[in-house]
Amino acid sequence: MTLWGIAWGYLWNRKFTAILTILSVALAVALISSVLTLREETRKRFEEEGQAFDLVVGAKGSPLQLVLSSVYFMDNPTGNIPWEVYEQIKNDKEYVQIAYPIALGDNYQGFRIVGTEKGLFQHKWISPITGEERQPFQVAKGRIFEQSFEAVLGALVAKETGLDIGDSFISSHGFVNLPEVLGGHGHEQHPYVVVGILKPSNSPFDRAIFTSIDSVWDIHANHEEEKEIQSGKSPEEEGDIRYQEWGKNPRSMITAVLVQLQSPALRFQYREMIRESTVAMAATPVEEISKLFEQFLGTAKTVLLTIGYLVVVVSALSIMIGLYLAIIQRRRDLAIMRALGASRVEIFGSVLIEAFWITLLGIFVGYVLGGIVSKIVGLYLTQKYGLSVTPFILTPEHITSFATVAVMGLLAGIIPAWQAYRRNIARDLMEL
Amino acid sequence: MIRVEDCYLKLGPKTVFYCKNFFAEPKSKIALWGPSGCGKSTLLNIISGLLRPDRGTVVVNGIDITKLSESQLDHFRGENIGFIFQTFNLLTPFTAIQNVIIGMRFSSTVPYSIWNKTAKSLLERVGLGNRLHNKPSQLSVGEQQRVAIARAVANRQKIIVADEPTGSLDPKTAGKVLDLLIELSNEHNVTLLLVTHDKTIADRLPILYDCSNLVREEDK
Repeated sequence: MTLWGIAWGYLWNRKFTAILTILSVALAVALISSVLTLREETRKRFEEEGQAFDLVVGAKGSPLQLVLSSVYFMDNPTGNIPWEVYEQIKNDKEYVQIAYPIALGDNYQGFRIVGTEKGLFQHKWISPITGEERQPFQVAKGRIFEQSFEAVLGALVAKETGLDIGDSFISSHGFVNLPEVLGGHGHEQHPYVVVGILKPSNSPFDRAIFTSIDSVWDIHANHEEEKEIQSGKSPEEEGDIRYQEWGKNPRSMITAVLVQLQSPALRFQYREMIRESTVAMAATPVEEISKLFEQFLGTAKTVLLTIGYLVVVVSALSIMIGLYLAIIQRRRDLAIMRALGASRVEIFGSVLIEAFWITLLGIFVGYVLGGIVSKIVGLYLTQKYGLSVTPFILTPEHITSFATVAVMGLLAGIIPAWQAYRRNIARDLMEL
Repeated sequence: MIRVEDCYLKLGPKTVFYCKNFFAEPKSKIALWGPSGCGKSTLLNIISGLLRPDRGTVVVNGIDITKLSESQLDHFRGENIGFIFQTFNLLTPFTAIQNVIIGMRFSSTVPYSIWNKTAKSLLERVGLGNRLHNKPSQLSVGEQQRVAIARAVANRQKIIVADEPTGSLDPKTAGKVLDLLIELSNEHNVTLLLVTHDKTIADRLPILYDCSNLVREEDK
């Protein structure tokens, strides 16, 4: 029987308190592990999708907002830009490989309707994470749109709404599905017909509905008239800036242009060119997402990890107290072991191993718990943003944090181990 | 062979232990007899290296143990001394067979390959072949003492020290345990030092060492 086995025997002998201590370590590890997993996985997914386009060109405002709204369909657009900007970019062959216009404005049950061109369905790129080719616009069922008011659904949209090929639906104005009392209203005059459903791509594109840009234009060309019929108020009275712009000349405006350059090295240069030569601005998705993760999410991560490590400190204290009390109760056994020939070092080691067992089990259980938490949050992220999360990953950051927890657990065992090390065996044998 | 000479240990502000002379031949069976608090357990602890005298000579199997370091004493105990205490002899989380094996693990006198076989055969020898996997809480006090006896002889040590091994047992069980202890110590050719305050128990062993005056008030 090894010291590991002896330590395990004593741990099992006080299983109730040991399990509680293991759980407290596990909770801390679960928090740390899930924060690291979720951050890493969302960063990967964001960066993966961020590589889809070198630049996003849109109305001036927050570059992050532009990227989030046009690539990830998460935020409101910064405004609209003239169609001529798209024409100019598309024809700039020296710099631009390909460009796609997108027009946003409506939703169906909260899923955004993206007016674009058919060329987008051929778009592909190499994932920086896996090194494999990404092509999220593959049609699983039906075909891509050919005419106005034909729609291609992202995989999640089809799953969530139950819409299938041949079904029709009425889009709602805006980016969220609002009830009528809050100003939400549908475009009943222009129902869409589902003609295609995309394969799941674990990307924000799963949550979008694609249609021709003409469809979006056609709806909004008549929007002023529709709104007046429905509310009796003009768009100016409603203070709807976007629709004021649409109303001026709907066929002249788009929300953004997704741009693939001849080389990623041209990103900075072309961004400056757009700023200087057009009324629009350009943003680099990867850069904006990196900033988002470093600034806002970086702070959130630090706060959550700090909480996690504080829980580890509390758990380490409970390991120390638990072991300290166990050593006092076990002094007779320790004395017998010494009488049998166990050295002080072996006694010290057996107590330290016991602390290590607790920490090791806590880390293992915590990692599993953290994976479960990541899985649950991942389901929400998939549902909400189309981001898939692998719940069980092991990054160098995970390993470092687990090693830190293990060291803290061992440090917590040192005082009780020292207490056991220096006990007077003859007195302990005589006392009982 | 055990030899203790002029062994002095201060026990309290005014109390001292002093043993002028104690000698035990190899394989001898000696009862250390005396009333409670007379110093017989202290003598046993000094011989077994659990207590270190302030001065004097303690030679066990040719080793002057007063000159050994703490770690050397641990090693010495593991190789030379088998212990049996009055009660709570066994490590509580472990089964009877595991207790015997743990004894061998710390003494390192028995090869690892035969730990299991040795422990099993000894427990069968002391009549506990059917209780190998019982924990101390599932054994009677008499059975626990028998496990302790098996553990004491398992390591092939030359000396067994037994501190009131029958003190917690009823007379019938005490007699059986004592018989077993004497039998096994004879079978394994070991020196047996048995501490007792019970004269009838002490008389069962061939040699009686009177410990009545080992602890005394210190002379000014």
